[in-house]
Amino acid sequence: MDEFKILLVDDEQEFVTTLAERLEIRNMNVSVAMNGETALRIVEQELPQVIVLDVMMPGLNGLDVLEKIKSIDPNIQVILLSGHGSTKDGIRGLKLGAFDFLIKPIDIDELIIKLNEGWKKYCDSH
Amino acid sequence: MKDGKNIVIAINNQNVLAFFGKITASMTHEIKNVLAIIQETSGLIEDIVNMSDTADLKNKERFISSLERIQAQIQRGIHITSNLNRFAHSPDNEQEQIDLNDLIQQLSSLVTRFAHLKKVKLMTVPADSPLMIQANSVHLQMLIFNAIEIVLQHIESGTLTLIPIQENEQLKMHINYDLMTDEQFNCISGCEAWSAIQKNLLGIGIHIVLSSNPRHS
Repeated sequence: MDEFKILLVDDEQEFVTTLAERLEIRNMNVSVAMNGETALRIVEQELPQVIVLDVMMPGLNGLDVLEKIKSIDPNIQVILLSGHGSTKDGIRGLKLGAFDFLIKPIDIDELIIKLNEGWKKYCDSH
Repeated sequence: MKDGKNIVIAINNQNVLAFFGKITASMTHEIKNVLAIIQETSGLIEDIVNMSDTADLKNKERFISSLERIQAQIQRGIHITSNLNRFAHSPDNEQEQIDLNDLIQQLSSLVTRFAHLKKVKLMTVPADSPLMIQANSVHLQMLIFNAIEIVLQHIESGTLTLIPIQENEQLKMHINYDLMTDEQFNCISGCEAWSAIQKNLLGIGIHIVLSSNPRHS
């Protein structure tokens, strides 16, 4: 699998940095952002191909950020992260163009499968 | 005038429930974040341990098995908080379409401890298809919980099985206890509280049936 850029966005710093470290151990290229504004800056500067985006964040929430990401590059694949057991956020996100959604806490193997699927979809759309 | 007063009391009760629900749902979200951090941190430790040579790390197997125990407890915590989160959202709507299967599964998870204290194993046997009913979720859960609580007061050990089914257009909720004696059956089904629950559930459209059938255990 070719290396692709991943952006993890979550306001829980301990969560996002630890998850990034685990993905880096698996030779993945990861950036992190702790809020929507930083995430959008990284999207414009680094153009990640796949983004893991928490729905519930202070300031710009995940769904707002998703819309802005899609306006920057509609081919960027976004996997939403929700802390709730309900699928409401996920369904709303899918309607706004998210590739998939996961419920927190996540299984690392499942996340890696989704990341690779997102990367494949990104490649197919080019 | 009295009706007006009752409406005010009902609205206040709904507001109190909504308040408790909102705070509890928010707290379960926070707990899930804590569990997510513990899960990723224990996963990271496991990654690091797996990267180390056995020669470098004494007791590697013990590290791994200890981490597996932590991860199993995280999964347990996730299961409990997910159910508590759904429960906390119960007062969101005054009336809603509820799948009795889902409601029973969720409630069963929340009352497992009550059963455990009586050495009773609590099981559910969901129907193959959704059993939809229009009801107030809090009210319905409270009635089923009260029914389970009454049964638990009269039994010790054995298996209590909750079986929601639809028979001839009628939604039924079987509460089956595998070691039920005639005395226990008569005591439970004859008590006033049980009759009141039966009547209230029937008003919602659910016929509650107390049974003793070892095949469900």
